[in-house]
Amino acid sequence: MLNSLLWTPLLAGLIGLALPKRWVGTWSVAAAATTLGLAIGLLLDGSYGSDALNYVVDESWIPDLGVRYSLGVDGLSIGLVVLTAAIWLATVTWSALHPPRGGDDAPASARNPALYFAMLGIGETATLGAFLAQDLLLFVAFFDLMLIPFYFLVGIWGQGERRAATIKMIIYTLVGSLLMLVGAIATAVMAADGGTVSFAIADLREHLLGESSQKWIFALFALAFLVKMPAVLVHGWMPDAYRSCPLPVLALLSGVLSKVAAYGFLRWAFSLFPDAAIDFQLVIMLIALGSIIYGSAMAFTQTNVRLIAGFSSVAQMGFITLGIFSMRIDGIDGAVLQMINHGIVAAAAFFVIAALYARFGTEDLTEMGGMASKAPFFAVAFMIITLATLAMPGSANFIGEFYILSGAFQSKLAIAVIASGGVALAAFYALRMYQRSIHNRLPEGATSRELDLREAAVIVPLVLLIIGCGLVPNKILARTEAGSSASVSALVSQCREHGAAPTECAAEYGLLGPTNREGGFEPSESDGGAGNPTE
Amino acid sequence: MSTEWYLVLSALLFSTGAVGVLIRRSPLVILLCLELMLNSSNLALLAFSRAHGNADGQVFALVVMVVAACEVVVGLGLIVAMYRRNLPLDVDEARVLRK
Amino acid sequence: MTVDFNAPDIDYAAISPQIALMAGICAVLLVSVLGKATNRNLVTSTSLLGLGSALGLMIWQSDRNTDLVAGALRLDGLAASAAIICIGVAIYAALLGVGEPAFFENGQSRHGEFNALLLTSVLGMVQLASAQNLVALFIALELLSIPLYVMSGFARGRRESLESGLKYLIVGSLGSATVLYGSAFIYGGSGSTDFGAIAAALGDGGLASDPLIGIGIALLTVGLAFKVSIAPFHQWTPDVYQGAPTTVTGFMAVATKVAAFAVFVRLFEVALGPAASNWQPALAALAALSILVGNLGALGQSSLKRLLGWSGVAQGGYMLVGLLVASEVGVNALIFYLAGYALMNLAAFSVIAIRERESNLGDSLSAVEGLGGERPALAWALTISMLALAGLPGTVGFFGKLYLIEAAVDGEYTWLGIVIVIGSMISLGYYLRVIAAIWMRSAPDPASLATSALGPIDGGSPEGEREASGSRLLIVPLALVAAAAVFFGILPDPLVDFAKDAGRDLIATVK
Repeated sequence: MLNSLLWTPLLAGLIGLALPKRWVGTWSVAAAATTLGLAIGLLLDGSYGSDALNYVVDESWIPDLGVRYSLGVDGLSIGLVVLTAAIWLATVTWSALHPPRGGDDAPASARNPALYFAMLGIGETATLGAFLAQDLLLFVAFFDLMLIPFYFLVGIWGQGERRAATIKMIIYTLVGSLLMLVGAIATAVMAADGGTVSFAIADLREHLLGESSQKWIFALFALAFLVKMPAVLVHGWMPDAYRSCPLPVLALLSGVLSKVAAYGFLRWAFSLFPDAAIDFQLVIMLIALGSIIYGSAMAFTQTNVRLIAGFSSVAQMGFITLGIFSMRIDGIDGAVLQMINHGIVAAAAFFVIAALYARFGTEDLTEMGGMASKAPFFAVAFMIITLATLAMPGSANFIGEFYILSGAFQSKLAIAVIASGGVALAAFYALRMYQRSIHNRLPEGATSRELDLREAAVIVPLVLLIIGCGLVPNKILARTEAGSSASVSALVSQCREHGAAPTECAAEYGLLGPTNREGGFEPSESDGGAGNPTE
Repeated sequence: MSTEWYLVLSALLFSTGAVGVLIRRSPLVILLCLELMLNSSNLALLAFSRAHGNADGQVFALVVMVVAACEVVVGLGLIVAMYRRNLPLDVDEARVLRK
Repeated sequence: MTVDFNAPDIDYAAISPQIALMAGICAVLLVSVLGKATNRNLVTSTSLLGLGSALGLMIWQSDRNTDLVAGALRLDGLAASAAIICIGVAIYAALLGVGEPAFFENGQSRHGEFNALLLTSVLGMVQLASAQNLVALFIALELLSIPLYVMSGFARGRRESLESGLKYLIVGSLGSATVLYGSAFIYGGSGSTDFGAIAAALGDGGLASDPLIGIGIALLTVGLAFKVSIAPFHQWTPDVYQGAPTTVTGFMAVATKVAAFAVFVRLFEVALGPAASNWQPALAALAALSILVGNLGALGQSSLKRLLGWSGVAQGGYMLVGLLVASEVGVNALIFYLAGYALMNLAAFSVIAIRERESNLGDSLSAVEGLGGERPALAWALTISMLALAGLPGTVGFFGKLYLIEAAVDGEYTWLGIVIVIGSMISLGYYLRVIAAIWMRSAPDPASLATSALGPIDGGSPEGEREASGSRLLIVPLALVAAAAVFFGILPDPLVDFAKDAGRDLIATVK
């Protein structure tokens, strides 16, 4: 089951290379829809109430290097898997309906749509692989592989300074991920301690490293993840890449790829380097706070709509990181929910930007306006996306951010207070973008046009999805909860092993935070009742 | 007689050869210097052979002589080919490949 | 009076690959003299026959683990795997040579000479990989090198080629002389030229810190570093790579490295193993320097052959890491990397060769611009090769680096693992530039593409004919090596098994 989910996009992409040009689009949409179907099948069929893995695939791959081909899906990843498949379907559909042409100086290879869809297929397989991998090296390999198709997509079909942007992007992100490779190898070799090397997560968790080794390896992992997100300080590749990237591809970059990084913290960094994660908690929370403030401020001052969305993404990823590193069950639950919400909202925003560009012929906010006059549905769809971005009560984003802040308040009060300000900033930049483009007067030469069918086919389902998430966020939470509590319990059990009393752990790191939802984290028997469930 | 004197002489010869290869400009002189290096090794081999009282070093030296001859043949062949094309016989001038 | 003597016991089966190569050399020379001089196909077929039978015999004998020729050579996993890679590369080079313009002089084919030299050089490589005696090492090293000097200067009509030949001769001989002088000191210190006896003298005789041995190790390191182009003994590499005919460059870049590293490993781990703590830090420093110098040097190169030359310096540094950790996993990683390196470099050099013959842009980066739109097959092959050299996942290069880093961490050289990764990051700067040229730029003005590979075959001009058939012939092996580079990047296990014998046998010898 997982095998077919994982490899369908790649195989379909490669087969597409051999198909006649006019069939490639349809073929790719069909393949992406099949993948989404499989992902939804996993969601409905599996049981995500505990932290057990579903549909485990565990094959020997390279025994001499200790690498196994090991896949599985649990509550933490299932939501992201479905998100990946859904956003990819949206991008593929959009690209099939609006064939990619590339910029003004597009090379000859840009005229080959099959190549474009093949790259999308490789990218989807790599991203799904990163979410499904249960072997550290497999994860790192997929994490690195994820980048290659985007290098081609931006470099061939991008616009402006595409070559420079794409090299900057790949060097930034690969610096992180290659260092992570060394970290991964060091983890496995040091954990084996002369015995058989194994990269399997279960084996690695049984032999955790000493604190000093954990620290430097965690730093390498954190760097890779923070670059990918991107977080402030290491976001240098983002503006150029966002300016050059084709918009449908940008929906993936911002909506899905950044989530792999956040997921990496939860799945790998917390469970393999719990001591180091606790040591670095404050540093990363400060970086997250910086991302929120800086991202919001930049989003407010930019006039290029792509960059507004891009910096808003930085801020949102800051929130998610904050939630994760609050190391409270609430914060992590909120972060996982918010990953899914933000994935959908960010992707939808970029499709709206593409629609705006089709009407105004520019991406500069100052040259837009008045779109609402003859396009009420467009305005409504955009409104819903905007409200979701600024986390209006009633949207799932509100619930996500609420939990994140609740987790942050439990662990670091001061940071949480400042971060709350970020929520207000989001309202400023999101509404500014909406007002400037939809209200005001229509600039000369632009026409107000309703969403046509080809645009609606992508934007409307995404908007419905946003509304749907707002109606039933607890359904998502019920599935992700067990996964996030597993992440926290790795931290707690580690703290305990170091000889501290359970209550001390709770006091020092605030790990056993109260939870008020059913099926939430319950301290194991030996805890002596630290962390009473309230309510 | 102590082996050391032979070693000192061979070291002197080897250094002379190596320095010659590095600083001389004529390919012919460079070939001579390469020969000097090989022969200094031969001297060392022979000295060690006597010191250890086994013949391995002497056999080695004989082999080296044969190989050295081969090397010179190829080197001279290339020099002749360059000369025929009226290329400057000066390794400092041979810099078409330098950027 | 009769004198009895014990004739040395020669294991003919085990040296049969070398005999096949010798026979091949003779056959090629005879065919090229007796047959029509212009008949390059006949000559190449003969040469392929010789190489093919040598390869077959080598595979047949690859499970052996035995001393040969009175202990001068040893056939074991390391020798067999290195020999198999070298012979494979030579087969590829023979095919690549069919259409090589440099092998024609005044309309006369010189393929006989080329193939004879190629086979001689391969013979040297096969012997070098199994040498376990300093004398055998030196002979094999020269047998490998001297034909290469000639082959580099093969295009007598081109000044670059002659210069490259002369430069290679001078630097190569400097390296050989240094190896020789180092061997003399090792012999002087230990009293033997046999690797096993040297190890015994160093280990049990407590000579590991003897000054003679120390000088010998230093000189051997320098000499072999010249041969495998490790910084700071690499200056000749880019020049020679650029000047030599592309076919020769491809062969030299790959096969020499394989054979030289094989003997490097055997010498240092078997003979000098007891002194490992003396040479390990020095080699670690050389490896780190080579990785940095090679990768930085390659940045900004506009000649693809020079670029690969510099990248070869860096890759040599990566491989040295596998050697210097002196462990079984290190040797395995080294052989795995060499096999992968052969695949990715052959793909790159054949694309360069094909473009060189099709366009008049030579080996410059602009010769591959817009290839993605025009010639997708070539474009993919070069792209795969570049991604693999950069070590990105999905290609054999990724597992090669993984293996090496694992060996480095295992051998407590984690910092070298990080240096490898830093090197890979720098290397992206130039490998990606090639990929960007292929896919993200438009093809240069068609006027500069003088002839097309698919041009008229019977158009009368012998030049057009030979170029056309040469390129067509090459697509199949090119596709094979590129596909193999991807295949082993997804399922590396067969290649790991191939490499595993090398480390196991070698380390068994040490113990």
